[in-house]
Amino acid sequence: MEYIVETKGLTKSYGGKQVVKNVDLKVPKECVYGFMGPNGAGKSTTLKMLLGLIRCTDGQAWIDGKEMNQKNRLEILRETGSLIESPSYYGHLTGRENLEIVRTLKKAPEKEVDQVLELVRMERQQDKKAREYSLGMKQRLGLAAALIGRPRLLILDEPTNGLDPAGIQEIRELICELPKRMGITVLVSSHLLSEMDQMADYVGIINHGQLIFQDKLEALHEHSKSKLLLRVMNRTAALKILEGRQIEGRVTEEGILIPGLSDDRAADLVSALAAGGAGLYRIEERQKSLEDIFLSLTGRRESL
Amino acid sequence: MLFACVKTEQKKLRHSHLWAAFLIIPLLPTVMGAANYVNNLGLLKSEWYSLWTQHSLFYANFFYAPLIALYCSYIWRVEHLNYNWNHLMTMPVSAADVFLSKLLLAVRCTLLLQLWMWVLFLAAGKVVGLPGLPDPQILIWLLRGSVGAVAVTALQLVLSMIIRSFAVPIALALLGSVGGLLASNSGLGLFWPYSLMLMGMNANKTEDMVSSSLGFGVSTLVFFLVFTGAGILWLKRKDVHAT
Repeated sequence: MEYIVETKGLTKSYGGKQVVKNVDLKVPKECVYGFMGPNGAGKSTTLKMLLGLIRCTDGQAWIDGKEMNQKNRLEILRETGSLIESPSYYGHLTGRENLEIVRTLKKAPEKEVDQVLELVRMERQQDKKAREYSLGMKQRLGLAAALIGRPRLLILDEPTNGLDPAGIQEIRELICELPKRMGITVLVSSHLLSEMDQMADYVGIINHGQLIFQDKLEALHEHSKSKLLLRVMNRTAALKILEGRQIEGRVTEEGILIPGLSDDRAADLVSALAAGGAGLYRIEERQKSLEDIFLSLTGRRESL
Repeated sequence: MLFACVKTEQKKLRHSHLWAAFLIIPLLPTVMGAANYVNNLGLLKSEWYSLWTQHSLFYANFFYAPLIALYCSYIWRVEHLNYNWNHLMTMPVSAADVFLSKLLLAVRCTLLLQLWMWVLFLAAGKVVGLPGLPDPQILIWLLRGSVGAVAVTALQLVLSMIIRSFAVPIALALLGSVGGLLASNSGLGLFWPYSLMLMGMNANKTEDMVSSSLGFGVSTLVFFLVFTGAGILWLKRKDVHAT
């Protein structure tokens, strides 16, 4: 498969401490690739290396087949849009003037400013000064700027950070549209699994600077199979019934946590619990959190 | 690409009140110089030349470099704010174009500033009642001062790029100017960039401070190339940290 972003042994150290270790990213073309990890795991550092904002200590990165180095840097940047850390904007200039600057430097046709303004639905706020924008509008302005010049690759670092739920939904929809509508590959980072679930086709998980998982989103779901929480009046009776069926039950404050079951096995268990006097009064499905997935991927608990 | 960069740099200066500072602040050395001239008429007998010694005494020693520094600090301030370093360095623009476009604008400012000082000098001369017009030589000195200032402009641009504070590079420019006065008085002016502008302008002197045009030119050029080269290299090599 051809990758639009590929890295080999990408490493960054600060004063002997490795913050990104040996990362081999593989981002297929025209998809949404979710780059996940807790805060401080090395997401931003990795993305900044891809853009040439910081130099890698070791390893290599290729964007669309071109190695990121001094020689290819400008050529790569011409085809790449990005939004790193927080939105960049010149506060004393209007939204439109900000976009005009990007348009001039990317040598894009004049009409693109109107196009991206429409895409992020900011036509009506374009003549307001950027410093008067809300955070959500600044993010949208940043996204609009990143889209100028029809990039083949869009690198977005936590684009929904600090947004209200409506803003998050809007950005998310926009990101999902891009690969289909414009043939853009989106590499987007986040520390929220739920967010990736709704937009990513592929997922990479980084933790302590190491890429611990990289595959299709469905493959991640294998790791994140849900659990069932049983709430019963009589725990002893319930545990005995579970034991008889060789289902591992873990007693928690809320109730008894068991692994996810197929529909027929669940139905069977429910009737057995009812018949056995366990007093089952509630059964809930529990999705694994990113924390739980880390646990199953790394075998140790990480605080997020 | 350099042209496109200059165009965008000019856009970034829109809506700023920088021009007001550059119109008003030069009035101070003009008034101070004229007042000094009027109070020392007994000693100062060479009319326009004498007025120039007083005018340039304050302007060249205490105002020119800090004003250049103010401009350079403003040019970089817009990049230091709001994570714009990330934006600046992910545009398809070479480090040299980034630096040179800002430098071109700053140099243009130093030149315009000199012409404005020329106008103020004329006005001050007329107000204190000097006859006719000054010798064109004084205009040549002013322009020669802006040649010397090119080296300082490159240096201030480097300082303001690296130092995120707005005021610190301006304070350094003031210190540098005072050092420039000391250096040029001890005959070491060609070895200290801030001296070059004073020497070019013949600040507070009636005899020409530039004894060798070649030495002056070479010194300015060397300082200019070193500072510009260092600035571009820094932009190329340094990891970008926007906060």
